[in-house]
Amino acid sequence: MLRIAQGRVYDPANGVNGEVRDVCLDGGKVVHELPPHAPRVDASGMVVMPGGVDIHSHIAGPAVNAARKLAPEDHRGDPIDRTELMRSGTGGTVPSTFVTGYRYALLGYTTVVDAATPPLAARHTLAELRDTPIVDAAFLVLMGNNLPLFELIREGGPVTDAVAWLLEATGGYGVKLVNPGGVEMWKHRNGNVTALDDEVEGLGVTPRRVLEAIAGSVDELGLPHPVHVHCNNLGVAGNWRTTLDTLDTLQGRRAHLAHLQFHAYGGTPGKRPRSRAPELAEHLAAHPEHSADIGQVMFGPATTMTADAPVSAVLRDVTGGKWVNADLEAETGCGIVPFEYRERNYVHALQWGIGLELFLLSRDPWRVVLSTDHPNGGSFLSYPRLIRLLMDREFRNEQIRRVNQKAIGRTMLRDDLEREYTLGEIAIITRAGPARLLGLADKGHLGVGADADVTIYQGRDDVEEMFATPRWVIKSGRVIVEEGELRETPAGELLRVAADHDEGIESTLRPLFDERYSVRFDNYPVREPWLLEPARRIAAGPGGNAR
Amino acid sequence: MAGGALAGATRTCPLGDAWLAERTGEAPPPSRVDGREADFGEAVDAAAAILRDARLPLVCGLGGTDCESQRAAVALAEALGAVIDPSGGAGGAASQAFGVSTTTFGDVRDRADLVVAWRADPVSTNPRLLPRLRLDRAGRPPGRSLVVVGAEESATAAEADELVELAPALDFEALWALRALARAVPLERELAARLPLDALERLAARLRACSYGVVLHAPAGYASSLALLALVRDLATLAHVVALPLRFEAGARGAEDVLAWQTGYPGAVSFARGHPRAWPGEFSAAGMLERGEPDAALIVGFDALRGLPPRASDHLRSIPTVVVDPCATETAAAARVAFATAAAGVQREGTAHRMDGVPLTLRAPLASERLGDGDVLGAIQARLAGDEGS
Repeated sequence: MLRIAQGRVYDPANGVNGEVRDVCLDGGKVVHELPPHAPRVDASGMVVMPGGVDIHSHIAGPAVNAARKLAPEDHRGDPIDRTELMRSGTGGTVPSTFVTGYRYALLGYTTVVDAATPPLAARHTLAELRDTPIVDAAFLVLMGNNLPLFELIREGGPVTDAVAWLLEATGGYGVKLVNPGGVEMWKHRNGNVTALDDEVEGLGVTPRRVLEAIAGSVDELGLPHPVHVHCNNLGVAGNWRTTLDTLDTLQGRRAHLAHLQFHAYGGTPGKRPRSRAPELAEHLAAHPEHSADIGQVMFGPATTMTADAPVSAVLRDVTGGKWVNADLEAETGCGIVPFEYRERNYVHALQWGIGLELFLLSRDPWRVVLSTDHPNGGSFLSYPRLIRLLMDREFRNEQIRRVNQKAIGRTMLRDDLEREYTLGEIAIITRAGPARLLGLADKGHLGVGADADVTIYQGRDDVEEMFATPRWVIKSGRVIVEEGELRETPAGELLRVAADHDEGIESTLRPLFDERYSVRFDNYPVREPWLLEPARRIAAGPGGNAR
Repeated sequence: MAGGALAGATRTCPLGDAWLAERTGEAPPPSRVDGREADFGEAVDAAAAILRDARLPLVCGLGGTDCESQRAAVALAEALGAVIDPSGGAGGAASQAFGVSTTTFGDVRDRADLVVAWRADPVSTNPRLLPRLRLDRAGRPPGRSLVVVGAEESATAAEADELVELAPALDFEALWALRALARAVPLERELAARLPLDALERLAARLRACSYGVVLHAPAGYASSLALLALVRDLATLAHVVALPLRFEAGARGAEDVLAWQTGYPGAVSFARGHPRAWPGEFSAAGMLERGEPDAALIVGFDALRGLPPRASDHLRSIPTVVVDPCATETAAAARVAFATAAAGVQREGTAHRMDGVPLTLRAPLASERLGDGDVLGAIQARLAGDEGS
């Protein structure tokens, strides 16, 4: 039992916007009332929000681990000692698993979604998540370059059952499409697709058919989270047309676009990009069925890691530095390039500016939510600075003056967008909004029955400092962080979806698998209880995430 | 299976049969102290005492066990402030220099039109690999070539379309020359006179022209590994060419992966200062033992006395050791404390990462009362934690 007394509560899902009230926790849930003698924390003068929810991050699995292996220099300067409570580890842009859990918790985040796991590697992701303490975690399953699914799509087969089966076989939460068709083409002499109607060589599908089929299946299943799309042509000048084409293709269907900033470029391929953020903001405003996270770029070190392997090859040629490519049979690829975003660089400054534009032009914070696509645009540790950029116009303008001015001239930031996010809006884009888009009914709010995940901040003028060092963080009703230090490090839960499928799908899938995998069909689904438990099932159903 | 015992195994190779026999034959007592059978608690006490009293304990092996046990080994090494070495070799350090382009078995089997076995003899070391990936002479589809680069006729060379004979000492030079040839940079032929330049030119042409090329290679020294990965990187701008390092222990890749996710480093790590540190070479088990640094060792699933260089084995014989191993090895017989465990994939379920990184489930066809490697390691750690608490 715990009463969080007299804090200024920001609980936008329940219409609470900074009112002083108590939040009562019992049995890991928010409850209506507690006896007067219940233990309490005095939150007077403080800001109380639900625990943070990260809708798009890369924290576990083979790609993340390949990035860790690649960059010892990223770890050496940031060692973390073992203590009685904590396992040791290393930080940097791609922290070790334990450190990832600790640092998310210290930041006030209690739920994190890993955005890209190849189904064949689910065991690896699950094992890493088990070593990622405190936060509840889910992962999205990559399906945009999956050969058995391509076959079913081409032949008009039971795609929906196959999607549900893949989710069940992996312990996954939602469906991710990354450069549909393009990653498969990468394995054909380093190719790619450049438009939605490009044919995937020899396979009889196009990106558009894949988008339509998989998004349709996700809707049909009523998955709590809509299809999560990393569009074709990431990073390419002029790609905003592809992004709009993708959104038009998905019109009338729920869809979430990942790291929209990387897909909002005007201009012509091979030439200097410019911003097309206003056009995309306009589309999102007009289409309530569509949502996005930003993928904000933050200046400083980053590690780009993506299933979009052809994009990584471009970045390799930009940096001339370290590069990992990892083809994964029948399903996807992977590319990793350590990267640094520099203020004076035209493209980097433009990317930074476009991200801010998208935030500042967004008319519905519930559908345009915060991410840096950790660690692609920057570490999750940079969220507090990003929040300050959104909340503090003077600070933002100072920063704008520091960066490449030609780039700023290609954005609306030159016109001094006046908007300053309120604390209520920050609560939406960092917890309430992501939770709603994910269809996690017990997360991101403080109504009765919600998970007792609460972050309490000391109100400060410097919001960066305020959000970087929560005064208390409470997870499942237990005080995890106090005064910026960990007090407990319990395990989090795996959040996985429960979606029905026709058992008969296995006889359809078996021959498709046996032809294309080096692992037998019967050995493919994850059954190991030590990888799958403890887990919470979130049911799919009609209406999906409509709450 | 017949009557709870293994009646026979299908789809195995001779190495697999021997591996199974070692884990299903007559087992030593589950726990021994100084060669005598001891009860489990006594053995755990003795193991904990040895490791607790050590100034610099070494944890090594790990390539023979499953990911669960590897997790337990890293946790225990951390609690001990030990050095842990998953015996990855120098290839890992080379791949940190500028990365690597790689693949999984299925893409090799279904896409490769050119496979180069560079100083690798999978027919001897991984006998099922060629047939499974349809790289053997009988199984190769039309249009697929296998080129072997090696010293002389080997079992793999007998399966190849072409053998490029090359003395081992010339690996680096040949790979560097190939980099030039692949990029059509003119070579001064007199300087490269020791190399089979005509054959290398043919190979460079094949690599440039292939649609999906794979270089299979065995663990090698730093410079050669670096040169090989540099070649593959150069080729990546010309064709889709990837490298796939062969491993000879079932758990080698998993050991590297688990260590990397828990510490950030894939190679030998020291926890002596309370956090992970790794410098290529510095904390290798063989090197540390040769320098006489560790004063106790915990060896998991590894016949270290046979597998390490002689000077390292000599030092190992002079310090107290704890061995956790399903097999009856010389190292286990010589240990101060030895636990004979149930083997992952035989009597214990688990997960292993295949050499291409694909995680596989390990089943337990046989029953056993014995604990697995990870259970024993966990018991030792619990005993140490109990000491701390008291």
